[in-house]
Amino acid sequence: MTANIDRRSLLGGAAAGAAAVGLGTGAKAKAVLAPGVRKRDFAGAVAAMRKVVGDEWVFADPEAVSPWKKSYTPDPYGKHVPVGAVCPESVEQVQAIVKIANQFRQPIWPVSTGKNMGYGMTTTAAPGQMILDLKRMNRIISVDPELCTALVEPGVTYRQLKDYLVENNLPLWIDVPTVGPIASPVGNTLDRGVGYTPYGEHFMVQCGMEVVLADGEILRTGMGSTKNPSAWQAFKWGYGPYLDGLFTQSNFGVVTKMGMWLMPQPPVYKPFVVRHKKMEDVARIVEAMRPLRIANIVPNVVLMMGAAYQLAMFKRRDEVWTGAEPITDEAVAKAAQANNLGMWNTYIALYGTEGMIAESEKIIRAAFAAIDGEVLTQEDVGDNPWFHHHATLMQGGLNLDEIGLARWRGDGGGLAWFAPVAPAKGSETQGQVELAKQILGKHGFDYTAAFAIGSRELHHIIALLYDKSDPAEEKRADDCYRELVTGFGERGWASYRTGVHAMDLVAEQFGTVNRAFNAKLKDALDPNHILAPGKSGIL
Amino acid sequence: MRRAVFIAAGLALAGTAQAAQKLGEVQAQRSPEQVYAAVCGYCHGKNVGPVIRGRALPASAVEYIVRHGQNAMPAFRPTEVTPAELKALAAWVEKSSADPKEHGQ
Repeated sequence: MTANIDRRSLLGGAAAGAAAVGLGTGAKAKAVLAPGVRKRDFAGAVAAMRKVVGDEWVFADPEAVSPWKKSYTPDPYGKHVPVGAVCPESVEQVQAIVKIANQFRQPIWPVSTGKNMGYGMTTTAAPGQMILDLKRMNRIISVDPELCTALVEPGVTYRQLKDYLVENNLPLWIDVPTVGPIASPVGNTLDRGVGYTPYGEHFMVQCGMEVVLADGEILRTGMGSTKNPSAWQAFKWGYGPYLDGLFTQSNFGVVTKMGMWLMPQPPVYKPFVVRHKKMEDVARIVEAMRPLRIANIVPNVVLMMGAAYQLAMFKRRDEVWTGAEPITDEAVAKAAQANNLGMWNTYIALYGTEGMIAESEKIIRAAFAAIDGEVLTQEDVGDNPWFHHHATLMQGGLNLDEIGLARWRGDGGGLAWFAPVAPAKGSETQGQVELAKQILGKHGFDYTAAFAIGSRELHHIIALLYDKSDPAEEKRADDCYRELVTGFGERGWASYRTGVHAMDLVAEQFGTVNRAFNAKLKDALDPNHILAPGKSGIL
Repeated sequence: MRRAVFIAAGLALAGTAQAAQKLGEVQAQRSPEQVYAAVCGYCHGKNVGPVIRGRALPASAVEYIVRHGQNAMPAFRPTEVTPAELKALAAWVEKSSADPKEHGQ
């Protein structure tokens, strides 16, 4: 088997050398083995895994692993490159792989569909890991049209689930993150991602999991571990300590099935945008929105999109600003006006009967009239592409329009999401905008950002956009991101989520007791530390 | 009121001829048209990435770029677009005609 690897390596290397010239694929970094893992351990693990999943589903030479190395997050020192990939098609194969990983102490990093662009894709927090690629496990196990629930495997994409519902004429909606077509409900929910319908807080509408533990045992959470379980997807809490949270943003097990609730299609759907003209208006918008969200008059997860973020979706930077220094508010305002955008564009939607929507619309219009907000509907905006994008998202529709962001600063495709959380109060906005601009500006990057209100919290979603094909810019982006984490952290604004490049640093913001508690759980549940070491700063 | 909005979205999806996936079964091999509609076509021809149809792009280059992700494009792994799907897709892209509805940069 070792000879096999070497032969493949030679063949792969030659092909890469010939084909890679000038293509800017970025797969240049060299992978290193994990601490304490010798070459013969790695070769032994690879050989054993081949027997489980077949030769064609284990990838262990640098060229063959290339598709797993592509990433948008900064990695100037090559610390996040996977060393291999193994791709099971069943839970039994996952169990066997976990046992092999323990035997050879070879760490494995599970991914569902691996398309969390701006959070790390299929790269890893700590070096030397093999990707446990679960995309082949893409069975939709059950859909209950009466309870409006589904049970799916990790490799099911939102597109697959949507296709199933449409083809079977099931009047149920999905709720997607912005990379919906190619991302998965399981992966996004486990990373506590969000979407933009009333079911936008994905972990809130998750119900029941099947988990392969580090010792190979299978745990079913909630009602799933009872005899002939009848309510696995109906009742979240089960009995005793609630366990599902332990398997989100963590490395305590490999989730192989997940239940989720689906929203019944409403009789009427009506999207709106509220435009405001000044940067400082964001404080008033948050003050107006908070009571509407808490009372559920606005039922969906709300996005307040800054004009620069909106422009970056469909424009290239040099169409709007040619300076090397960060784009000014004046230049953003001018381009926003030319494109029928506000400086803040707040997207909300109503769902229900025409009567219900009419009542809520009155309240919403009054709330925004009081703060000079321009409330616009589909009829008002016509074919505005930004409205079209958000109106698609707010009904769980699929598109990838936002990915244009990755080309804002050049073709190199650099993107890292920085997402600190604050309470949903207007007083929390201005200081954050100023701090973000100061840190981004120091490193030469633009403030391309949005705010989101789930319920009582305010997410500040900052897209750090850079050109990854420029090594100096990648290094600057890495430095900038780290300064954002610590600078915001000192003011009480810590991230709800981060990419593989900053997981340890974000974990530091949550204090030593929190970290020690997670470390104790890790030692108890995965004593050989073979599951995704480094995930959320947990080794 | 805005009933038309989601009816239009439903039609757009129905028009992409998806392979029916049965409960409990993994996704079957998809045709090039299906892969293009479910993956590539969200960016290429939609202003996010360049137009790739009708340009006689060599199939070998298409295969390489899909697996490696040129510039800002993500890489797609053999678990996402299977080797057999990619081979057929690359040949289809090479021979494809331009779609006047597509636009890109």
